[in-house]
Amino acid sequence: MKSNRLLTYLQVTPLFLVLLLFVIVPLALVLIVSFFRYQMLVGLVPDFTFKNYIDLLSNPTSYKLYFSTIKFTLIVLAITGVLGFWVAYFLVFHVRNLLVAIGLFLVCTVPFWTSNIIRMISWRPVLGTEGLINTALLESGLVGEPISWLLFSDFAVIVAYVHLFTLFMIVPIFNAMARIDKALLEAAVDAGATRWGVVWNVVLPLSKTGIALGAVFVVTLVMGDFFVVAVMSGGLSGSATSGIFNDLQFLNYPRAAANAVVLLIIVLLIATAIFRLVDVRKELVR
Amino acid sequence: MSLPSQGRRPWTFYVLSVMFTLFVLFLYGPMFIMFILSFQGPTGGLVFPMRGFSFTWFEALFGQARTGDVGGAFSRSLPLALIVMVLTVLISVTAGFAFRRRFVGSGFLFYTAVASLIVPGLVLSIGILVTARFLGIPARWWFTGLGAHLSWTLPFGLLIMFAILGRLSPSYEEAAYDMGATRWQTVRHVVIPIVFPGMIAVALFGFTLSYDEFPRSWLTVGSLNTLPIEIWTMTTNVTSPALYALGTVTSAISFVAIGLAIGSIAYIQHRRSKRT
Amino acid sequence: MDGQPSGSGEIRLVNVTKTFGDMDAVKSIDLVIPHGSYCCLVGPSGCGKTTILRMIAGHETPTSGEIHIGEQMVVGLKPVQRGTAMMFQSYALFPHLSVLDNVAFYLKMRDVAKAERRQRAREMLERVQLDHLAERMPAMLSGGQQQRVALARALITNPRVLLLDEPLSALDEFLRLRMRGELKSLQNELGITFVHVTHTQPEAIALADMVVVMDHGRIDQADTARHIFSRPATPYVARFMGGQNVLSGIVTETSGGVLAIADASGPTYAASASGTMPAVGTPMSFVVRRDRIALTKGASAAAGEVNAVNGRVIATEYQGTYVKVTLDVASREAFVANIGDDTYFADPLRVGDEVTARWATADVHVLERADTGAAIDPYAEDAA
Repeated sequence: MKSNRLLTYLQVTPLFLVLLLFVIVPLALVLIVSFFRYQMLVGLVPDFTFKNYIDLLSNPTSYKLYFSTIKFTLIVLAITGVLGFWVAYFLVFHVRNLLVAIGLFLVCTVPFWTSNIIRMISWRPVLGTEGLINTALLESGLVGEPISWLLFSDFAVIVAYVHLFTLFMIVPIFNAMARIDKALLEAAVDAGATRWGVVWNVVLPLSKTGIALGAVFVVTLVMGDFFVVAVMSGGLSGSATSGIFNDLQFLNYPRAAANAVVLLIIVLLIATAIFRLVDVRKELVR
Repeated sequence: MSLPSQGRRPWTFYVLSVMFTLFVLFLYGPMFIMFILSFQGPTGGLVFPMRGFSFTWFEALFGQARTGDVGGAFSRSLPLALIVMVLTVLISVTAGFAFRRRFVGSGFLFYTAVASLIVPGLVLSIGILVTARFLGIPARWWFTGLGAHLSWTLPFGLLIMFAILGRLSPSYEEAAYDMGATRWQTVRHVVIPIVFPGMIAVALFGFTLSYDEFPRSWLTVGSLNTLPIEIWTMTTNVTSPALYALGTVTSAISFVAIGLAIGSIAYIQHRRSKRT
Repeated sequence: MDGQPSGSGEIRLVNVTKTFGDMDAVKSIDLVIPHGSYCCLVGPSGCGKTTILRMIAGHETPTSGEIHIGEQMVVGLKPVQRGTAMMFQSYALFPHLSVLDNVAFYLKMRDVAKAERRQRAREMLERVQLDHLAERMPAMLSGGQQQRVALARALITNPRVLLLDEPLSALDEFLRLRMRGELKSLQNELGITFVHVTHTQPEAIALADMVVVMDHGRIDQADTARHIFSRPATPYVARFMGGQNVLSGIVTETSGGVLAIADASGPTYAASASGTMPAVGTPMSFVVRRDRIALTKGASAAAGEVNAVNGRVIATEYQGTYVKVTLDVASREAFVANIGDDTYFADPLRVGDEVTARWATADVHVLERADTGAAIDPYAEDAA
């Protein structure tokens, strides 16, 4: 029995070491450094000051950036949520052949294993002023001059987010839906539920854990993003991470750390709120 | 009304089919346009029309002159992805087995892994860089970069192992012990064969997620870039289809990895189903 | 009530066929289940019994044919318009709703006000004596309790037909017997039609006014439980329901309402014919009830003696009130005699003993269809 326990600890040691060195300690240090002082040319100066936080919270730009990030988050959440739900619903309840369903599911997930940056860049020849959409619109005579807000705009940012992150919704919702006993749907139909009634009263409540899990992914991905906003908005929009980005350019690690701590707290608060709303743990632990 | 799953196809089937098709088009369309444009003729630009068909931009990629150190980035990204893949499989498989038993600290470890998944990559990236500073070592792709990638791939590997091992009934192992197998023999002849397809999936995640990782790599790989960072810098500097050519090459590598993984899982399942 | 079709719960299936892909699950079936009867559909898995149930419920659409409930042709109607209620094998209780909300679901779908639907659901739960568990979630209930909730949820729709898909299969033996009794008395009380799918013969015999035995998408026999058991129509029904020995031979003589049948392996049998006399030379199968066999020690059946076969004991199995003695006789399947325990233990047998089995002509029942002798029937007991 004792050797069993020893073995267990031996088995988790590598995982523990990686998490300790590359997650726990770094996060702790970010917190510590956020109270340090920054001095030009010297860099980090150990201290215990709230200056970085005060700087951050008294700067109206921070609020503007967070507002912009939250706006993106909510819009993307709504679009990916609706899209993810119906794509998963289609795959689980409308595709009858299991192999076909798995195949189509894989089609949805394959992009996850390819480069985000490449997939983002690939929108350029589509959305640009000389891109595919504008060329088509011009040639069909629908517009007189190219639509400029397709690329380097909030629209482009949202398109890229939806493109990159919808599968983070599809996968957990698909998993939750696949576990729903089909007899439950029949029982609801027996009781007189309409097609919409079945979705609303049975499928949606039973997919809640999947939706919540997907939402946590999308929130953290959008809020933590700095490259999609930078590339797709052409520098016109900022995000919460833009501040960190700028501080890092000036090697101001303490303020970047303070900024990161604030971002982390907000992300964790939202994640906790979602976990509160829906008990996702049983989904994860199973 | 009958349920969607039987009888005649309901009208919602057709509506959702159209939606699904459009979604897949949205998902893959831009990528394929980029693939096509990467074969632009020498005088062609970043958009249609195609001015001829050539491999000019692929050659330009490794010419170093205009596009930076693409070859060097490849020579780091590929080995890094392979190392991350091997470590992810080893660490998540062993840890996955440990998690089947209760042990002190299992909850903490599990939630740390989940937190590692949720923490914004940039935040963790700063943390790892600062940690390296405090340890007095410079950021290097094969150390800090490796760690940053593992912090991203291990939670996925662990969750996949949970899903796989959750379905592995302990009675298989008990049966093996009953027949006199040692612990190692049981793992070797019973457990590993059963969970092998799952391990391939973990390997796929380990390789591709590392190979394409950007936010966590940005500050942690040091002065020598990995491929995604090279591409990132190219987006601002390079205004030729060479960018698309790089996209095509790197996507091709991803697709090969995905194809190998899914193909071998399908092959194993097929062989098993044929034997029974 | 609630504007749903009340009235007769007679079910008529007219030439119903259901095809899945290129497989016929149900092949041109005609069946009438009288109003207010307890009907059991019984057969091995894959015989099409569940498909019939689901077509009556409206969860499958027949490929061709008509289904009538009462005066209504119901094919194409929504389940809820049919006046049927279904109890699922897995019970299909909504895991995210409390017991009370599960039962009230039907009322919620018809926009009944919350207070009223809770009130009515509570009354229904009282009827199945589960009102004290109203606020529990289904996962917290035992199998028996879940089944009652499923029953309450089905009954609140006030159905004229209750469809039960293997309702007792998830329960342990003790609970199964108890629920069996409760289902029967519930059906008596409500007076509505019950259609109950099962693969367990004793369950069908115990519950049903009408037993429908199915095989490969066809109905082999639909009759009262007593007739199904004692007067099976086909060798398959006889073997599936059990309790019978199936014997075959060729008709050699017909005189005075009595058939003489010769088995190629030697013995000759006599049986009273019912209906039209078969011609001499036709192959014929018949059954003899296992509990009507008398055994005597020693191979004493004389050549030409009617209704007597010699055999060797290959197994004895004590069953409490009787002993099941399996004999190896010259025919291709084992021959079983159920001997009362007192009789048996007065002079017990051992494996290997030579015995003679005899029976009266009155206990012989001629089957409508002769054993085809093609593939060995899966329900034939192997002579080891």
